[in-house]
Amino acid sequence: MRRTLLRYLPLLLLAIVWELAARFELVSNTALPPLTDVIRSWVELLLDGELLTNSVSSLYRIGAGLGLSIVVGAVLGIAMAWWKPVNVLIAPIVEVFYPVPKSALIPVTVIWLGYGDGSKILLIFLGCMVPVTIGAFNGARASEQVLVWSARSMGASKLRVLWDVVVPGAMPELLNGIRTAVALSFILLVSSELIVAQKGFGFLIGSLGAGGSYSAMYAVVLTVAFLGFAADRVYLQITKRTLAWRD
Amino acid sequence: MAGLEQTTAGRDGLPEKAARLAVIILWAGARVFSIVVLLAAWEILARSGTFTPYQLPALSAVLERIWSDAVNGDLAINTALTLYRALAGFAICAVVGVAIGMAMSRNVIADWFFDPIVSVGFPMPKIAFLPVIVLWLGVYDTAKITMIVFDAIFPVIAATVLAIKGVERELIWSARNMGASKRELLHQVILPAASPQIMTGLQVALPLSLIVAVVAEMLMGGYGLGGAMMTAARFANSTSVFAGIVEIAVVGYVLIKAMALTRRRLLLWHPEANAPATA
Amino acid sequence: MPENAQIVVEQVSHMYRPARGREVLALDQVSLTVQNREFVALLGPSGCGKSTLLYLIGGFLPVEKGAIRVDGQNVGGPGPDRGIVFQHFALFPWKTVRGNILYGLERQGMAKDERENRAQDFIEMVGLSGFEDSFPSQLSGGMRQRCAIARTLAFDPKILLMDEPFGALDAQTRGLMQRELLAIWQRTPKTVIFVTHDVQEAVYLADRVAVMSARPGRIKTIVDTKFDKNDLDIFKNKFFVEKVDEIWNLVKDEAIKAQGKRA
Repeated sequence: MRRTLLRYLPLLLLAIVWELAARFELVSNTALPPLTDVIRSWVELLLDGELLTNSVSSLYRIGAGLGLSIVVGAVLGIAMAWWKPVNVLIAPIVEVFYPVPKSALIPVTVIWLGYGDGSKILLIFLGCMVPVTIGAFNGARASEQVLVWSARSMGASKLRVLWDVVVPGAMPELLNGIRTAVALSFILLVSSELIVAQKGFGFLIGSLGAGGSYSAMYAVVLTVAFLGFAADRVYLQITKRTLAWRD
Repeated sequence: MAGLEQTTAGRDGLPEKAARLAVIILWAGARVFSIVVLLAAWEILARSGTFTPYQLPALSAVLERIWSDAVNGDLAINTALTLYRALAGFAICAVVGVAIGMAMSRNVIADWFFDPIVSVGFPMPKIAFLPVIVLWLGVYDTAKITMIVFDAIFPVIAATVLAIKGVERELIWSARNMGASKRELLHQVILPAASPQIMTGLQVALPLSLIVAVVAEMLMGGYGLGGAMMTAARFANSTSVFAGIVEIAVVGYVLIKAMALTRRRLLLWHPEANAPATA
Repeated sequence: MPENAQIVVEQVSHMYRPARGREVLALDQVSLTVQNREFVALLGPSGCGKSTLLYLIGGFLPVEKGAIRVDGQNVGGPGPDRGIVFQHFALFPWKTVRGNILYGLERQGMAKDERENRAQDFIEMVGLSGFEDSFPSQLSGGMRQRCAIARTLAFDPKILLMDEPFGALDAQTRGLMQRELLAIWQRTPKTVIFVTHDVQEAVYLADRVAVMSARPGRIKTIVDTKFDKNDLDIFKNKFFVEKVDEIWNLVKDEAIKAQGKRA
């Protein structure tokens, strides 16, 4: 406990510096409202429901887009590693889309699906598919040949080998790919909501900023940033258990 | 390895050799095949009327738009602006990021101070801070470049710290054994040994710089590839939007390739480039 | 303790403190003297601390209990008087063969012409002519180790510390390298401390073999193995085989103990 406190102490110090700098007006108060004001605004937003409605909206979009990308990406990646024809067909497409900055797709998703949930979910789905597919593919491909041969010699059919050997073997890389996808989903969500949305975190940040409620704006910015951080930590905790056999 | 290929030589007749060649060509062709099919499908689908020209402009129309943008100079201006912002941000990230990473591995206080910042900041969607940066710095280049640095510096710092920590103990011991001083050790041994991994961090940071530049431009409008795309979207000019995607993709691709080539030249010595000789 | 011994290890103990987990006693009151130009092998099972002892003599680890003196002076840190060769070569991968060998000479402040010539001599001595401008990643294991040895010999240390230098090589290359090392040592005698777990290698190369116990490491016995090693069929020589047997019996029990403790 003490160790964790010591480790994160710099953040606490920064928070204190923030508060003091704002209180003593070292920086203009509009640009940097005191931390205490930000916290107060946060509570107000929570109480009047604004934070909650927009959170639900954003989290729903991430959940749907990310969830779909994980399912489709994992299946696709493993299929590509296992069946050469699938690889030959799909790999070039992945290679072409890999270097495309997914944020560049924001206007296109809007053209197709408007300003609502659909465009965000599509964007997150397309963007997050890439790391998941690549992770699944690399993980499945790295299946040690000797493990596969051992299973076959013990009488396992090709499909059983896929399920019993290749998929578990692919887990570490796949889970790593999903971790990247989780972080990416937040980035794509916030980017698109800042630019083209009527609900959600990004929208709320934008409208609060436009309306001059800066401490409330800070509150939401920090909330979203923290959620992204928390999602990563929680993900690590969950996957640590699944990968316990590795060490 | 040459020996293995010889095992059936002299036994193969012409048909067997031709068959092998055909298979190689088929696999190579199949790779290009998917892309060609995709592009052809795009064009056909666009013309078929299943989607409106607004939803899916024809590939030919998009290419034509890119061409006209190139000819009238718009493409050059927008690309140059976006590249300027992305590269300026990247350069700052590279210098400051490596410096912080180095400081963290040599100085306990620097490590204590930056470690939680990097570890907590890394998985955060830092783009959420864009409105805050705009509040502080306005809507011009300074704000955009600051956002880029704020976002892309993290992978550089993380890679530098890991790279330096990962330098083989025996390399350092060998150098000290041969009389290297602390300064010589850092410059002559630790940094070169860490360079592959630091380069990897830079290779992550560069495309990231481009993406952030584009997003910042989309939010703030004006010139630049992102800004131009948003303007086109607002005017319901979907052909230009699609053209923009292709343009940004090409820029991204060129940057990645350039980095890969630079890596290969700087790291000629790395095992990834060589196969061992025999003697 | 003979006063003119070059290296004196006196009741040295060493605690191994991993980042995670309990501390472990690696060496327990080890004492050893090594004469000038002697070839001594440290032989023992895995984990017995023989490498640790080598690193202490080399100055890479601090001596916490006991003392280690070289030519009468306490060992303070690493230095070019005690050259080290590692099992995994530790060549600078971004430097060529020549660049690696030149490094130590540059640190010594040798004049440019002098060090270029000296480097070239050593490249030829270890049989790497023609590969001066190759990078380590382009060389085979045996070639890399020859480069590592040349690199250390080039700056002419009084003492040579070798940490299972042939352990990463295949059996045939190992045999060749052993013969070459012996030839080099016979031509330009130096004090050598050679860590190994291979009994035959120890008997073949060394004047004396210090047999170490399983962890915590102690010196169990020191066996004299100085005799004429130039017989081409030395490994079948009756005297050689008897020595190997004698030492193997000493090591056997320790090896079994070490197996059980591996955790």
